[in-house]
Amino acid sequence: MNALHFFKPELLWLLPLALLPLISYGVKQFSFPGLEDWPKDFLSDYLRWGVRALAMLTLICLIIAAAAPFTEGGTVTRVGEGAEIVVVLDRSGSMSENLQNNDQSVNAKPISKIEASRKVLLKFMDQRPADTFGVVAFNAAPIRVAPLSADRELAKAALQSAEANSSGFTALNRALAMGLDYFNGRPFTATRLIMLVSDGDAVIEGEDRVILKQLFKQYRAKLIWVYVHAGVEKNILNSVIAGDNEIVTNAEMQKIEMDQNVAMNRLFEALEIPYQAFEVNSEEGLQHAVAEIERATNKPTRYEYRLPRKDYAVYFYLMTMLLLGALFWLKQIEIKAWKA
Amino acid sequence: MAQQPLIHYHVRWRPSGHQPGASRGIVAGIGDQLRSVVLLRDHPDPRRLDLRASLRDPFENVWVRDFNLNSALKVIVLVDTSASMGYVGKVNRLHVAQEIASQLALSAYRSGDAFGLFAAGENINKQCMLPPKANRGAWLWVNHHFAKIKPQGKHADGLFSVVPYLPQKRCLVFVVSDFRWSAGKLKLLLKKLSHHDVVPVMLQDPAEIDELPKSGIAILRDVETGAGQFVWMRAGLQKQMKNLRAQHVNNVEEACRKYGGKPFVVKGEFSAALLTKYFMERSA
Repeated sequence: MNALHFFKPELLWLLPLALLPLISYGVKQFSFPGLEDWPKDFLSDYLRWGVRALAMLTLICLIIAAAAPFTEGGTVTRVGEGAEIVVVLDRSGSMSENLQNNDQSVNAKPISKIEASRKVLLKFMDQRPADTFGVVAFNAAPIRVAPLSADRELAKAALQSAEANSSGFTALNRALAMGLDYFNGRPFTATRLIMLVSDGDAVIEGEDRVILKQLFKQYRAKLIWVYVHAGVEKNILNSVIAGDNEIVTNAEMQKIEMDQNVAMNRLFEALEIPYQAFEVNSEEGLQHAVAEIERATNKPTRYEYRLPRKDYAVYFYLMTMLLLGALFWLKQIEIKAWKA
Repeated sequence: MAQQPLIHYHVRWRPSGHQPGASRGIVAGIGDQLRSVVLLRDHPDPRRLDLRASLRDPFENVWVRDFNLNSALKVIVLVDTSASMGYVGKVNRLHVAQEIASQLALSAYRSGDAFGLFAAGENINKQCMLPPKANRGAWLWVNHHFAKIKPQGKHADGLFSVVPYLPQKRCLVFVVSDFRWSAGKLKLLLKKLSHHDVVPVMLQDPAEIDELPKSGIAILRDVETGAGQFVWMRAGLQKQMKNLRAQHVNNVEEACRKYGGKPFVVKGEFSAALLTKYFMERSA
C-alpha cells in the first residue's frame, strides 16, 4: 500500500547518465610542468570526490524527480456527521393559496402556503447548524437557486426570495432530479436528504419514476416530503380543478383531495426510496420532522475516504535545486585563468 | 620579440684554440698579454723586438716579445626538449629557449666565437644539431629549427648522448632547461660536462611559482606524464607550492655549486642584459 511507485518509470533508464561525472569533472583544466612534487593535499582530494559525488547526486535526483515517485495514499474509514440537505421547494401557483388559519381572531392575517413553508424551513435551518443546505425551486421548470454549500446565508436568501408563481404545470420529477444532481461528484460523507416541500399537486410519469428510483439509489439519498396541507376549504382542487368541474360537492372534493395525496404517497412508495412525509401546518409537525431528520442523520455515516496519493517529486526537485546551487557555487570558484 | 642587446659573456679560463677571438688564450700568437721574451732566432718577428731586454743581455742576444693569442671560444647550447619544455604559462617556454639560443648565436658571432647547438629530449634530436663553428647565420638557423621542434618525452636523458659530440677541449656550454629532472640527473650531467664551463640556464614560469592563483578549483595536467591533479587553491596550498618550487631552485643551485657553477634563472621572459650581468658577477 505504501510502496513507492513511479509515474514514468521508463525515465529511470536514464540513471546510468549519473555516471557521466566520473568521466569528466567539468572543471577547467590547465597544463602544468611537472606535478611530481605537487604537495599532497587531502582537502583537494576530498573536494575532488565531493565534486563528482555532487554532480552524480544532482543527476540522480533530477532523473528520479522526472520519473515522479509517489506512494498511494490508501483509504481511511471516516465517520460523517450532519446531513446534506437539498430543499426542493415547490413554488407553483397552488403554493400561493392561504393556509387554513386556526387562529380565529380579527387581526389574524392569512398567510400563504409558501410563506408558511419558508418560515418553517428557516426555523429548521436554524435548528440544524451542522448541515449543508442547497435549494432548488421549481414550478414549470426547476431552478438551481443555491448550490449545496456551507454558505447558510445563500440558502436562506434563496428561500426568502422564492415566491409562488403559477405556470400551470409542476415539474416535480425534474426538480427531484436536479436536487439529486447536487450530489453528483461529491464524496459520500454524510446523510443525504432531499427535502421536498410541496402540496402534492403533481404527478410523475412512469418512465421518470424509473429514472428517479435509480438516481435515489445511486446517490443513496433519502426523501422527506414536507407536506403543505391547506385544509379542506382552501383546497388545491378549488383553484386547479374547479375551473372545469364546478359541481363538486364538499365530500367529493375531500375525496379527490385525499386521492391526490394518497396518489402522491403511493407514488413515492412506488419509488421504493426511504421516504417520510410530514405536515407543515402544525408546530408538532415541524418538531416531528426535525426529530425525524435528527434521527436519520445522527446515525453516523461510515464511508471510505480515499486519501490523495503522496507525490515525492517535489522533494527531489527541491534537492536538485539545492545541489545545483552547490554546483553553481563550485563553478563560480573555478579558476578561469591560471594566474594570480 | 624586442631587440635584445648582445650578451657579453666572459670566462676566466683561457681557451686553447688557435682561432683568434676575444678571450685570452694560451697559445702563442697576437694578443695583448705578454707570454714570454724569446730569442729572435726562435721567434723571428722583429716587430716585437724587446729593446730593453736586448740591451740588458751581456751576451748581446736579440730578444723579441711573445704574446698569448686572443683566442676564440666555443659556445655550445644544449637544449632540453622534453615535454615540460612545451609548457605555455605566462610565457612559451620553448620560445624563451629559442630566444636565448638565437641571442647567444648572434653574440658569439659578433665576438668571433664558434657557436654550436644540440637539442635532446628522451633521445638526441639529430635534425637539430649544429657543430660549433664560427657561423654568421647561426641565429637564423636557430630560429628556423626551433620552429620544427615538438617538445616531447618524459625526461631529457638524450642530453647525455650529446656529450660525445662536444669538443674535447674546454668550451662554454649553456644547458637550457627547466631542470625538472629526477634527482641526481643534473649532477650526473654536470659531472660528464665537468671539463667544460657549464652555465645552467634554468627556465621558470611565473605561473608555476610566483603567480599561482590564490583561490579556486581547477585540474592540473602534467605535460610530461599526462597525470591529472584536482587542486583547490588556497592560501596554505599556494604557500606550500611556493616553498616547494623554491626548494627545487635550491636543489639545482646545490648541484651546480658542487661543480663550481651557479644557475642563471630566467623568470618568465629572457633578458640578455641580465645574462651579461650574470657573467660580470661570475668573473668578479
